[in-house]
Amino acid sequence: MYQQRSAIGRLASPSARTGRLRLGALAALLCFGAAQQQAQASPSFAAVVRGVQPKIVKIYGAGGFRGLEPYQSGFLISPEGHVLTVWSYVLDTEFITVTLDDGRKFEAKLLGADPRLELALLKIEAADLPYFDLAQAAAAETGTRVLAFSNLFGVATGDEPASVQHGSVAVKSRLEARRGVFETPYRGDVYVLDAMTNNPGAAGGALTDRQGRLLGMLGKELRNSLNGAWLNYAVPTEALAPTVAEIRSGKFVARSPDADQDRPEHALSADVLGLVLVPDVLDRTPPYIDRIRSGSPAAKAGLRPDDLVVFVNNQLVQSCQTLTAEIERIDRADRVRLTVLRDQKLVEAELEAERSNP
Amino acid sequence: MNDRLKDNLRGCAWRAAVCFVCGLTAFSARADNEDLSAREERAMRAAVERVAPSVVAIETIGGRQRAGQAIVGAGPTTGLIISTDGYIVSSAFDFSPKPASIVVRLPGGARVPAQLVATDHNRMLVLLKVEAEAALPTPEAVPESEVRIGQWAIAVGRTFDGGQPNVSVGIVSALDRVWGKAVQSDAKISPNNYGGPLVDIRGRVLGVLAPLSPTKGAEATSVEWYDSGIGFAVPMGQILQIFPRLKAGEDLKPGLMGVSLAGRDMYADAPVIASCRPNSPAYKAGIKAGDKIVQLAGRDIVRQSQMMYELNRRYAGDPVKVAVLRGEKRLEFDLELVDHLDPYQRPFFGILPRRDPVEEPDGVLVRYVYPDSPAAKAGVQPGDKVVAAAGKPVKDRYELVEIAAAIEFGQNTAMEIVRGDERIKFDAIWSTEPETVPAELPPAITEREAFADERPAVGSFSVKVPEFKNDALAYVPADYDPRLRYAVLTWFASSGDFKDEDVLARWKAHCDRRGLILLAPKPAEQGKWQKSDLEFAAKALDQLRAVYQTDSLRVAVGGHEIGGALAYAMAFAHRGQLRGVAAIDAPLAETPPENDPVYRLDFYVTRAKGSKSAPAIEAALKALGERKYAVCIRDQGEQGRELNDEELGELLRWLDTLDKF
Repeated sequence: MYQQRSAIGRLASPSARTGRLRLGALAALLCFGAAQQQAQASPSFAAVVRGVQPKIVKIYGAGGFRGLEPYQSGFLISPEGHVLTVWSYVLDTEFITVTLDDGRKFEAKLLGADPRLELALLKIEAADLPYFDLAQAAAAETGTRVLAFSNLFGVATGDEPASVQHGSVAVKSRLEARRGVFETPYRGDVYVLDAMTNNPGAAGGALTDRQGRLLGMLGKELRNSLNGAWLNYAVPTEALAPTVAEIRSGKFVARSPDADQDRPEHALSADVLGLVLVPDVLDRTPPYIDRIRSGSPAAKAGLRPDDLVVFVNNQLVQSCQTLTAEIERIDRADRVRLTVLRDQKLVEAELEAERSNP
Repeated sequence: MNDRLKDNLRGCAWRAAVCFVCGLTAFSARADNEDLSAREERAMRAAVERVAPSVVAIETIGGRQRAGQAIVGAGPTTGLIISTDGYIVSSAFDFSPKPASIVVRLPGGARVPAQLVATDHNRMLVLLKVEAEAALPTPEAVPESEVRIGQWAIAVGRTFDGGQPNVSVGIVSALDRVWGKAVQSDAKISPNNYGGPLVDIRGRVLGVLAPLSPTKGAEATSVEWYDSGIGFAVPMGQILQIFPRLKAGEDLKPGLMGVSLAGRDMYADAPVIASCRPNSPAYKAGIKAGDKIVQLAGRDIVRQSQMMYELNRRYAGDPVKVAVLRGEKRLEFDLELVDHLDPYQRPFFGILPRRDPVEEPDGVLVRYVYPDSPAAKAGVQPGDKVVAAAGKPVKDRYELVEIAAAIEFGQNTAMEIVRGDERIKFDAIWSTEPETVPAELPPAITEREAFADERPAVGSFSVKVPEFKNDALAYVPADYDPRLRYAVLTWFASSGDFKDEDVLARWKAHCDRRGLILLAPKPAEQGKWQKSDLEFAAKALDQLRAVYQTDSLRVAVGGHEIGGALAYAMAFAHRGQLRGVAAIDAPLAETPPENDPVYRLDFYVTRAKGSKSAPAIEAALKALGERKYAVCIRDQGEQGRELNDEELGELLRWLDTLDKF
């Protein structure tokens, strides 16, 4: 299965894959070991792990071909069987099975899903289950030690406990600003982790702090399109809780992820601003200004030929293409701040499109 | 017990607990673990806070993108301020595509343009300069002698939104890695923190994170290793040492001495010089083939790897003292390493040897004399036996390779042959290799009786390698005779979708007639060649060569279109094994390595005006020509295509002449 994955080219290289894989194996080892050690270890990691593991579930559904694993992870958020997990192809079937930590199997019902947050809420018919209370979520910051619980690579089956990984929060950061860097509809804060938590099957797992308090939900596999590196991350609980509450109360209205959600009705263009860029001939043609139309907003703002545009409204633009795309996200009615590089100095300019000429 | 010692002990307990199951008991038995854990977390945060003011985010604008599937450094990257007046070190990762502009975001939030001052191509670092209005904060460095394996190591980057530092916690895994150029850590080191510092628990800098490769040569970034638990940082001490040179705008390149070593195992063999490149520092200093290096830069050298360790750390321009043994005599030389060597051109005498198995060979029997070659001019005839060259006795073809490696192009070389009862001595100036393949060749071996004893499987069969999904079709001549040595051709079909019977129909008769073993690998994913398929092909070839008697001078790889590109890649990655590359209407995706006297490599390349790869093929021929490789060029006219029967015959004869001298 692993070779199949690397073969379909989702990985940087076999060696990196091996690296990720080994950690998975180690994690599995850690979890079995933890179970054996539980008797002696009261106020410790082992105790925390023991407390959390019964709240983790294994989810089985659609998939099973071309590197799409038919399983993922989830966790209980109510004593009566509400399961929080990620929205994915695995749930795209009428037969979703949830296996609890004690090995009991249930058919699950999909109560609702929010594709924008990539979350789904399942319900199984059970009672008196151990669970995470979303209302009592904890928070973490850079350097916080964390535990990640999931059934990565599907190594645990039946009543085997989920795998545990240990790491630190690398940073809490937004995914939003660098558009197109990550292929996910989610725009918001994530906990970036320094452990290899986001492997096949891990999505939907729980991230906790050292005390076993829920910090967030492990996300899907995500790769940074700018530098090619895989991202290990979790979506913080506070970003999920309101939608979960809406689904549970039946008030949720699904909103589809909209690629153009931030595209204004009257989009601005370089032309409207009076900017003529150098011909876009390379993969990453640096966005130099070739000409400025006289009397245009660009001319009024003092921009000059040969200025290199570096930021649009503080968004880095690395090429003619990204400059064009960034400008098109701005409404004509709004002011634009361009930062250009001129004689090795950064120069700011504020432009306003003609209102008379919409 | 002082506090520091206590801290250290606790640190150890923690690490054991984190890393291994067995540690859990020891750890949990401590009453104060909760407290300890929290304190340690605080210490780490404090360490990051301490170094953070010197850690900057770097953005690049514009620049060339590398083609193919290679990871491109286009994202933000990290840098470390190393002087108050605005010098910043970063990794060369984000700078290989030559950005048009660089903007540094200082920890205060101010964005300033930066200039690329110099690049260190040996340690994969760059030095940037920003104009700062006020003095910039610089970090404290850990003295290299204080660094211990097992101590905490925290990798710090600044590549995420919001401008806060991102961290990864690990330990120092090893010192003196990558030929002494790096500290190794299991913190997750990736494009997210390349260029940033690796710090100790006190926030002092251990080194700067760089995409170094432990296996590839210098100048090869090895992003493939990212996040694998194996990452590298160039020690701060080394950076401060080269800082003045970089500051002066000097690009630093790996230092070269200009010698090729005999033998194959650098961890076992002594560094005996097989040849000195003309005009190289070693050559100019007077070092000669046959000399054994016994000391380099003050260090006694027994094995080749020790020599590499001393050399690979150094830069072009660095002086090095070398002591060699020439016979019994110890000689010392002072030389200055350079960044570039004149390309090596293999000199050519003009003969093809016979390949009859001989129990105790005492020379190389001439099979064929190239017209107009130095050998022809000296009157050498088929049937003559070459018994000495350059003053050294020649036993067989393999020995002649080593001797020829030391022969200089265009220099008078003493030769000795035996003809009948006569010993003939003469001087010959070895010259250029032919660019064409003889139209007809006399047999290399005398016909002999079929081999009657037990022998491995012959005919066609499938080759599998454990761990790989691929398989390969192999064909061994029906009259395979283990007393002989066979040429091997690994052939990559253009698409990878081929029928075994089609391949056999084309090659079988040729294999039987010419004593050729064929290996045709198939991709792991049908119809799609990938880099990992090369690894499979190399292993399959190894397996085949372990079972069958093969001629190490005539092991070649070839292919059509993309298959030819794979052939280039495989030959460059496995120079120790492969002696020829046949690229049929195929582009060359990478820069060829330097020509080498010991690791011979010949090329058979087809070109066609109207081929979609025409520009790439011309570029390949230029690159190979610049490196003075022997290239046999076949013009296919208007359209690039597979070889026709006549061309295939030529390719097979080329394969038959790979052991020419």
